[in-house]
Parts: sequence; C-alpha cells; structure tokens
Amino acid sequence: MNEKPSLWWIDWRISRGPIVRESIGRFLFFCLLGFALLSLLLSGGVSRILAGRYAVTAVLRAEVPSGEGEGLARKAAALPPVRSATYQDPEAAWKEFLRAYPGLDPLRGTGENPLPGYIEIRIRPDRLTVKDVELVATALRAVPQVERVLAGEDWLPRLLLAGRLASWACWGVFGAFLAGFFLVGRLQERARAVALAGDFAFLAERGVSAGRLAFHRASGAALSGFLLAAVGTAAGGGVLFFSLRKYPILERVIGSPTDLLLPQTIASAVLFSIGAALLSGAASLLGWRAARPGRK
Amino acid sequence: MTRGTRRILSALLAASVSLCVLFPASAPAARDIAAELRKERGRLLEMKAREEKTAQELTEAIRKEKQSKGRVGELQERLKRQKNLLSRIDRKVSALNDRLERAEKDVRELEAAHGQARTDLQRAEVVAFTVQKAEAGIPLHPSARERERHFMRLYLEADAEGIARITRARERKVEELSGLERQVAVTERKMAREKKVGDKLLSRQEEERRRLSGIEREKKRKEKELKSLRAKIARMESVISRVERQVKERERRARKAAGGKATAPRQFASLSGGLSAPLSGKVVSRFGRQHDTTFDVTIENRGVEIEAASGASVKSVGQGEVAFAGAVSGFGNVLIVQHGGGLFSVYGRLEAFLVKQGEAVKKGSVVGRLPGSPSGKSVLYLELRAGGTAIDPTSVIPLDR
Repeated sequence: MNEKPSLWWIDWRISRGPIVRESIGRFLFFCLLGFALLSLLLSGGVSRILAGRYAVTAVLRAEVPSGEGEGLARKAAALPPVRSATYQDPEAAWKEFLRAYPGLDPLRGTGENPLPGYIEIRIRPDRLTVKDVELVATALRAVPQVERVLAGEDWLPRLLLAGRLASWACWGVFGAFLAGFFLVGRLQERARAVALAGDFAFLAERGVSAGRLAFHRASGAALSGFLLAAVGTAAGGGVLFFSLRKYPILERVIGSPTDLLLPQTIASAVLFSIGAALLSGAASLLGWRAARPGRK
Repeated sequence: MTRGTRRILSALLAASVSLCVLFPASAPAARDIAAELRKERGRLLEMKAREEKTAQELTEAIRKEKQSKGRVGELQERLKRQKNLLSRIDRKVSALNDRLERAEKDVRELEAAHGQARTDLQRAEVVAFTVQKAEAGIPLHPSARERERHFMRLYLEADAEGIARITRARERKVEELSGLERQVAVTERKMAREKKVGDKLLSRQEEERRRLSGIEREKKRKEKELKSLRAKIARMESVISRVERQVKERERRARKAAGGKATAPRQFASLSGGLSAPLSGKVVSRFGRQHDTTFDVTIENRGVEIEAASGASVKSVGQGEVAFAGAVSGFGNVLIVQHGGGLFSVYGRLEAFLVKQGEAVKKGSVVGRLPGSPSGKSVLYLELRAGGTAIDPTSVIPLDR
C-alpha cells in the first residue's frame, strides 16, 4: 500500500461515540474552569472583597463646613490609588454612629452632636497595598482641615497577608482542577488507545509508524482542547456576565461585567485556552504511551 | 426769775414804798392800818414766795418739756431713719434671698444634670463595650469598626468634657451660693443689730413720751397753781391799793385840818440837781407792756433792767434819803431812796449795800454794788415811782438803749 492514509482526527473517524462523550464532558469542564478563571481574574482573588471592606477615613475638624469637606473629597478622589472618596457631614456621621451603637440613641436625646464630618476613601483593588495606603494617608495628613487619618496601620498588613493567602488558595484550587483535568484526560486517552489498539495495529502493519500516529492523535487532542477551552471559557464568561448583570451584588466580590471585555482579560482567556491545548496534547501522548504493551 | 413774778414783786415794792411814806407822816393815827398792812405784807410775801417757787418750777417744767419734746423729736427722726435703714436692709435681704433661691435651684439642676450625664456616660461605656465585644474576632468591616471606635472615643470624650463642664459650673454656683449665704448672714446680723438699735430707740422714745407726759401733767398742775396764786396776789394788791388810798386820804385830811394846802406830787424833773444814770450800761428790758415768750403772755414792766459789768458800782440817781435797804424775794437786795414829794427810786438785784436805811445820799453817791457773774455781766433793776405810780426811767434819765 503506497498511498499514505491521513491520520488527522483518526480517533474521530474510528471511534466517534467516545470522542463525542469526552468532548461534551471536557466542554462542560472548561465552562466551569473558564467561569472560575474569569472570576479570579476580575476579582483578583479576594482583593476586591478586601478593597470593598477597607477604607481610609479622614476625620475632619469640627469647624470644617460641608462645602469644604466635599471639595476635599473630590481632591482625595483624584489620588492615583483611590477608587472613590465620599464626604459624610456630621449629621450623617452621627446617624451612622447611632446605627452602629443603637443603645446610645435614647441617651443623647437633647445633646449636641459631638462628631465631625469625615471622608471615606476607597482604594482600588489592584492598589490595595501598604505602600499605596501609606501614600494616601500621608497626603491626607498634610491637609490642615484633616484632624486625624484612620488607615488601619495596625491591622492592614495582617489583613493584606490574609488576602494574599486566600487568593493563593483560590488559584491553588483552580490549579488542582486543571491537574484533575489533565489526569482524567490521560486516563481517557489511555483507555481509548487500549480500546483502539487493534485498529492501530492494523495501521502499523500497513506502514504507519507509531510515532506519527501518536503525533497526529496528540495534535488533534490539543486542537480540540484549545477549541473546547476557548468556547467553554467564552460560555463561562457569558454566564458570568449575565450573572453579574442580574445580581449586581456579585460585582462587589467579582467586579464589573464590562471588565470581561478588557484586553487583558481576553488575553488571559486565550492563554488559558492554549494551556488547555497543551495539557490536552500532553494527556494524549502520556495516555498513548501508557497504553503500549508492557505499560500500564 | 420770770417777768410775771416781777410784776407781783413790783406791787410788793409799791406797797413797801407806800409804807415808807406812811409811817413817818401819820404813825399814831394809822396804827391799825399799819398793823393791817404789815399783816397783809407778810401774807403777800409768803404768797409771793410760793408764787415765785411755783413759777420757777413751772419754768423748769417748761424747760424740761421743751428738752423732752426735742428729745422725742430727735428720737422720732432717728427712728424714722432707723426704719428706712431697716427697710433698705430688708429689701436687700429679700433680694439676696431671691438670688440665693435661684442659685440653689441652679445648683440642684446642675447636680441633676451632672448625675444624668454620669449615668449617660456609664451607659455609653456599657454600650460601647457590648458592641465591641459582640464584634470581637475577625471584623467584616474593619475600617468601619475603626471609625466607629474612634467616634465612640470622641463621644465619650465629649460626654466626659460635658460632665467636667457641669462640674465646673456646679462648683462656681456652689461658690456663689456660699458667698450669698455669707452675705445673707452678714446682712441678717446687721438687720438684727439695727433692729435692736431701733427697739432701743423705740423704748427710749416711749420712756421719753412717758416722761413728757409726766412733765406736761406737772406743767398743767403748776400753771393751775400759778393761776390760783396770781389771783390771790391780785386780790392782795387790790387790798394794798385800797390801804394806800386810805393812807393818802388820811394825809390829805390831816393837811387840811392843819390848815395847809394840798401839795401836788412833785415831778422827777423838778428835783434839785436833776437826775443821773445809776451806772453805765444798756437797757435790756423796757418799761411798760412787754410780751413774755416763755409764758406767751403780755406783762406789765414797772421798771427797766440795765445790763452792766459785773461788780459795777450803783449810784443814787438823785439827792434823798435811804428809805429801805433789805432783801426782797425775787429782786434780791433792794434799796429804796426817798427823794421827797412822793418820789422814790428803787434799785434791785444788788450784791451789797454801801449805805444804811435813814442815811442821806446825794446825787451820784455810791449806794451799792452789782454781783459778779461768770459771764462778766450783771443786771440792775431800776424803778422810779412818783405819787405811787411807776414811771418810765428812760423818760427822765438818759440811759443807753
């Protein structure tokens, strides 16, 4: 037999049923991983959660009028690490204080409000570091109208460390899922190689080398892995987008849905798909090797 | 001596002069009349002495009354001032009490506010502790907690400052209160003192009023007595005048029986050598009807009073014979010089006589001396009588008025 047969999509041509089942499973898995990946990318792990709960408070002097306080808030919002700065007048501060200490309400029915106004400064999640916080706090302390800056210097480093650890844990879980995907893929490839061993032996008798066969199978697995990862990530991104739109509360934890369309997000998804392709190809090769006689 | 007394004494003098005229002229014929006159003179002297004593007592009573009235008036004025003072002090005490009441109320309110503020602070501390305990562990909103804790500190500091403010205000009020209490105590003590003074003044005034009332009773009694005495003296004068008239009638009849013709009484201007002033001095009490301010009555002066240096010599105003030299109650030592023809000159209030009864004197002869006095001035009583009638000495003798 002089004519060399094409080995592209050999598995698909000789065993369509298992391939379809595996592909569906991998697609669903990539949907899940894509959702998780994009969520982690947007949230920066737990950075956004931390950024939502952390704020620098600039307590103003009692005599600072509201207009001046609002002006100071606008100036603070212009600082690079700052996401937002909100001025609260003494009345609002007093109400907030009474909400926090409800038992105090009847105590001071006729008393004066002893609290001054303040500015609450939120830091961007990606700039939530001790250095950036210190930068903002120093800038605020230089303002004469500011009496005191509450930046949590005592507990912020511990909080950030805990955030980092939590983020690493999230990414670890993500990585574990990828590793699981790789292991499952290898087992599936080995099982299929064993199941198609007769067909592959037939091809070997007709002069198809084992290496060429393995290369084509791995290439096909990688290509399908890329496509499945890309589509699955897109689908997961879509679900995430609609979830964020439908449940705005999630934005505080994950981020804005529009961030999904940022170039770096798309680039990350592409990289993830390439990684998935490589893992799929590697799983195919390792499964092929495991299926050869004398190997498990 | 009062002027009313003088009037009585003048009558007595007139009687005496008449007797002096009467005795040498018709001693055997008028023995009975003379005895009656002596008797009447004795009675008159006795009554005069009583009258003089009563008048002196009355004068004393009036003086005391005046003095007492003055004291009552003065006491009334002082009492009025004291009442005004007490009223002012009372108003001041009232105002102080009002201020005291207000200050006490303020202190009570501040103490209540202080207690309430302390309770509020303690409850706030409990609330803060409870909330912070409930949020212990990992805070979900650390920045908000930090801010709330800071605001709680401000709240507690403001409360503590409020308590300190109330405490300071209370201390100031307590200080003010004790100052006011001291002022009230001082003012009340002053008021008690002034009340005591007022009570004393009141009792003195009462006492003075009682004394005045006694004096007034005594004065009325004396006035009544004096009036009665004067009536008696008037009656006595009337008797004496009647006797004088009888004596004159007898003289006239005697002269007629002797074949002589009646001689008209001589005038002082016709005295040989004329008349001269008894001493150098100023007339201080004039002859005739004069108003007595002490008794508020009009009296009849039968002579003049001449003020001169103490111890000055008294000279006879004309030639004559000493008809009488002796003491007459109310006039002291009295010297009567008979100039003849029913003319007599009377010198009262002498300290000593330098001539004797019956001794002949010339015009300008020294007959007596005025008494000495601490003021350096003494008064001579001078009366001139012509035919039993007193005449104004200044009309016949050049005297300084």
